[in-house]
Amino acid sequence: MISLRGLTKRYGGTLAVDDLTFDVRAGLVTGFLGPNGAGKSTTLRMVLGLDHPTRGRALIGGRPYAELHRPLRAVGAMLDSRAVHPARSGRAHLVAQARAGGIPVRRVDEVLEAVGLGAAARRPAGTYSLGMSGRLGVAGALLGDPAVLVLDEPVNGLDPEGVRWIRRLVREEAARGRTVFLSSHLMSEMELTADRLVVIGRGRLLSDTSMADFLASASPPSARVAVPDPEERAALARGLAALGGVSVEAAADGSLAVGGRTAAEVGDLAHRCGARLHGLRDVRVSLEEAYMELTAHSVEYAAGTGGGHGEERA
Amino acid sequence: MRLPLLSPAFPGTVGSEWGKLWSVRSAGLCLLAALVVTGVFSYYYGAIARINGHPVQPVGNAAASSVVLVQFAFAVLAMVAVTSEYTTGSIRATLLWTPRRHRVQAAKALVAAGVAFSGGTVCAVLGTAVAWGAFDGRASFDAGTTARQVLAVGVYQALVAVLTVGVAFAARHPAGALAVLVSLLWAVPSTLLGLGAATVVDGLPYGAGGHFVSAGAGGAPYGPVTAVLIVAAWAAAAHLAGRYALHRADA
Repeated sequence: MISLRGLTKRYGGTLAVDDLTFDVRAGLVTGFLGPNGAGKSTTLRMVLGLDHPTRGRALIGGRPYAELHRPLRAVGAMLDSRAVHPARSGRAHLVAQARAGGIPVRRVDEVLEAVGLGAAARRPAGTYSLGMSGRLGVAGALLGDPAVLVLDEPVNGLDPEGVRWIRRLVREEAARGRTVFLSSHLMSEMELTADRLVVIGRGRLLSDTSMADFLASASPPSARVAVPDPEERAALARGLAALGGVSVEAAADGSLAVGGRTAAEVGDLAHRCGARLHGLRDVRVSLEEAYMELTAHSVEYAAGTGGGHGEERA
Repeated sequence: MRLPLLSPAFPGTVGSEWGKLWSVRSAGLCLLAALVVTGVFSYYYGAIARINGHPVQPVGNAAASSVVLVQFAFAVLAMVAVTSEYTTGSIRATLLWTPRRHRVQAAKALVAAGVAFSGGTVCAVLGTAVAWGAFDGRASFDAGTTARQVLAVGVYQALVAVLTVGVAFAARHPAGALAVLVSLLWAVPSTLLGLGAATVVDGLPYGAGGHFVSAGAGGAPYGPVTAVLIVAAWAAAAHLAGRYALHRADA
């Protein structure tokens, strides 16, 4: 488990990370979302002991990363996957990691095969494509068979097959009881992968809930109903309006967009009005829409706002 | 899957740094440069002594004098082991592997010192052999004196490597680190010598190192033990400066 308590990082006059408190639980995939410049990478670097917090603490299994007895056996991390010496082969990089972490060197060839880099293992890392660098980063994270995985933008640059592979991998790791903490700005990917979501904007915690609750809370239930007969449609619209707290709009195709009620509730009312239906469905807000709504006011680099004041360090 | 428990202690970090050093080409090139520069310098040292009819001197002085130049080959080797991590960003991986930061610096210093000691003594042996031919009788050979000079060169190069690792962690960038090293190990002391401030130079690695590795010249203000301690003190100071910077900074 990863615990953040009041974690804060200040660069000069800018609060890059502002008083973050949350837990990342074992056995779940927790997504870490935020616009560019929100402080995700800075937070992860503090969790991993690379940056010193201005205030607060980040603990992994109750201890700061730097005080873990066998850090590579406890935590597998992938930060910038390009941060490998370009002249060093992927295998030499992992062998150096294995030696430093007290991990048998034969494990290096296992993970290289597991990530599909066996053939390129002895080539200089500088010749790798972005996708291959990402696979090398994942290999490094898996090397110590750790109980906690921290992955910063792991699907960046991966091909669709690689993206599915990462998704399956993190789901499997979580199912084995591991803690998986995964940052991304790709909403669609998170929706398929994460059980829980931590959302930050401008360094502040905006949301820390399950994926289902996040989607539900982002906007009220809504439904789409198709009524072929105009009179029946008008009657249903009046009935819905009479319920209160409901918005009804006629869509271009003649169906009604109902805000504030589920498809089940709309169906019950249609039945009471005797309206004949050709279609009825719940309209689920996508993670992307929910996220945009939540972070609309905290986007650091929104187009046309004249730029932000934070700085995402490369 | 169960992995056997090995301790990720200091020997592991040293092994990791050793492997990293030799998995890129720069270290080998630096050693090659050290050998070539030693050979050429020692040859000319001996040849000039012969041509100009200098008094007979210990043969090891040729290789010992080459140290002022050759030290930069070992300094670059040690510096690149640190600064390349900052320029490529791989310092983050290194500190994830070994989050006790001073252990990283100590391992790099130990590896660089070991390579510089071995490389320095090999260079000194080679330089002495080359110079013996070039002196053509204008040099004396005494096994004890020569062995002491060869080892002194190795120790001096090892201390320069430790100093360099400290400077490189403090500076992070190769340009800054090299500027400090060239100033401290060559430019400032040779300027001071030109100005007649030899007593100041005797307190710098340049002067102390020279007194430590040369033999039979006389006129040294202190003995070889004091000389090596002065160099070691500079190395220790640089090491502590690097340790402080590495501990404080965000990676």
